[in-house]
Amino acid sequence: MASVPYLLVATLGLTLVTVATRSSFFMLPARIELPARFERALRYAPACALTGIIAQSVFARGGEAYVSVHNNQIWALLAAAVVFAKTRNMVAMMVVGMAVFTALRLWV
Amino acid sequence: MLEAMQRPTMIHGLVPPIDRPSYREGTKAMMPFAFPICVWGLVTGVAMVNAGLSVPISILITLTVFAGSAQLAVLPLLITATPLPVVWVTALLVNLRFVIFAAAARRSFVQLPWQQRMLAGYLNGDLGFALFSRRFADATEHGNPQQWGYFYGGAVVNWVAWMGASIVGILIGASAPEAWGLNQAAYFALLAVLIPMVHRAPVAAGVLVTAVVAVATVHFPMRLGLLLAVVAGVLVAVAAEALRPEGQPHGADEVAADITHDGEIA
Repeated sequence: MASVPYLLVATLGLTLVTVATRSSFFMLPARIELPARFERALRYAPACALTGIIAQSVFARGGEAYVSVHNNQIWALLAAAVVFAKTRNMVAMMVVGMAVFTALRLWV
Repeated sequence: MLEAMQRPTMIHGLVPPIDRPSYREGTKAMMPFAFPICVWGLVTGVAMVNAGLSVPISILITLTVFAGSAQLAVLPLLITATPLPVVWVTALLVNLRFVIFAAAARRSFVQLPWQQRMLAGYLNGDLGFALFSRRFADATEHGNPQQWGYFYGGAVVNWVAWMGASIVGILIGASAPEAWGLNQAAYFALLAVLIPMVHRAPVAAGVLVTAVVAVATVHFPMRLGLLLAVVAGVLVAVAAEALRPEGQPHGADEVAADITHDGEIA
């Protein structure tokens, strides 16, 4: 488990990351522009980073890949993804995802 | 509060001059999003505590980091005490979309003193940017009290809804048993940001490659597999785009609309 000093330093850095990205071009001199090629790469990074985090959290356990029908998290995530893709409703997605996860946890 | 905002000297010059009707227009434009913001904040709060962070640390993170998707993305890294550079780079990658927003909105803010620019930037989240860029898409003048008022109207509603709901979520999360697995909600919430982004072949290819590489490299030390997976995914997406003439770069407003669920803002 992470220590309090670790978490405090982590939080300080994360706050600086928020300021650095959100205020980036508000602070830079006007002559510096975002190159089109670079912007294209930037557009894909957030989607890939979110995917990487979800994949390593859901399809793995204890530092090992865990791709199996017994992995309840995968089914819950799939159900949530389908509901959100169809309805774009976050509450419905949460309810269905948690319901699938809980049902599998209790009865399978 | 509004009185004070019209007299910048009273708040030590952190906020630019604000036109009051525009401020009200900005709050009204953000109001329909207050509920989704609250749901998202609530989930983030619950997930942080349920994953194992203490209530005071969770509240500190909420009040300072102020970036829901980055907070949720680094959560699994924080609780396993992953080396800090990996934590920060992961947050940076998730937040890179804000660099695009800042580049697109800068002309309305560059005239201001640095502390006003920095605060406005810090408050420039997904929804605020999407509403602002849509409202002033056809503006011929950039950087006036109307625009700053509209921006701050939306930003204040967003901030209050987000912080209030996050703190309620943290307190709820603290009293829910860990076995319920409420931290699962974090991945569903990240999915809600991710899914609207994946609507073109290049990004779909990048996301697929990232997922496969991320799972294959999950045993790498210090979560370096995660960063490797993102680099691989971005390279594949950029390469796939180059192969397709219709994969033309689209504007920052479209990036924001992806994140804020396409047509819902219209």
